[in-house]
Amino acid sequence: MKTIRTLLFAAIAACAGLAAFIYSGSYPVGADVRHTAFTHWALETLRDRSIDRAAASIEVPALDDPELLLMGGPDYNDMCTGCHLKPGLEESDLSVGLYPAPPDLTEKAADPRRQFWVIKHGIKASGMPAWGPTHDDQRIWAMVAFLQKLPDLNAQQYQILTARDDDDAGDHH
Amino acid sequence: MKSLTAPILLAALFTATATQAHDPSLHKNKGEKPKCEAMENMDHSKMDPNDPVMQAMMKKCMDQLHEESDSAGHHGDSHQPEK
Ligand code: HEC
Repeated sequence: MKTIRTLLFAAIAACAGLAAFIYSGSYPVGADVRHTAFTHWALETLRDRSIDRAAASIEVPALDDPELLLMGGPDYNDMCTGCHLKPGLEESDLSVGLYPAPPDLTEKAADPRRQFWVIKHGIKASGMPAWGPTHDDQRIWAMVAFLQKLPDLNAQQYQILTARDDDDAGDHH
Repeated sequence: MKSLTAPILLAALFTATATQAHDPSLHKNKGEKPKCEAMENMDHSKMDPNDPVMQAMMKKCMDQLHEESDSAGHHGDSHQPEK
């Protein structure tokens, strides 16, 4: 009986302490103050487990299609390079200043299901927006197809694939 | 047979781009043009005609050529790829 009362008291005290901490305003919320190792681990694990679970049942269409590359390339170039960079662009204000930092997508390609899910739904409390509300699945898969090839592209190949000439400029949004 | 496809398409492409590359009217467009001349300097022996990236670049550059020759009034050009 006594131990139960002690445990209950400890739990209430912990909750009150947490509430006091939240209200005190002493948590450093600035993007230029790094997380502690524990917070970092907790958030990364939370994110990765959540994405893995949500993306597990997504079926990947055939992505080795030149048409998809030509559709996804210009979209990526227009909407994503400010944060995720491109061949020949090593950093940007956004890639440096955002925390969590946007991964450099020219380095290596993650699993296509993961990429599709993240592009469609975005990631809470990070700079990564959900593109699903404004872009259909087909366009998102086209960007995924392009992202799968991006790490192998040099600057010239990238330029050719992503140039949006006048003809197709109209179908963006 | 397969290995000849890329060189033939590339040759057609470059003879065509070379004659048009310095036409100033090309720079009027607001959108960015693919810089297809760059393909000329790529290592042709490493180009695989079955590679989707290669196919996409070819298609982009062929499309661009047709637009340019259409708008410049060069109809019936000999650079049409045989599909
Ligand atoms: C304003 C900046 C910003 C823009 C614009 C942006 N992203 Fe992101 N993106 C992020 C950030 C930040 C993350 C990492 C979030 C995290 O780690 O919690 C991210 C994560 C991702 C990931 C997950 C990478 C991985 O495997 O962990 C993908 C894929 C991605 N973005 C694709 C895109 C695409 C495609 C576009 C354009 C349509 C885009 N992003 C536009 C900021 C941005």
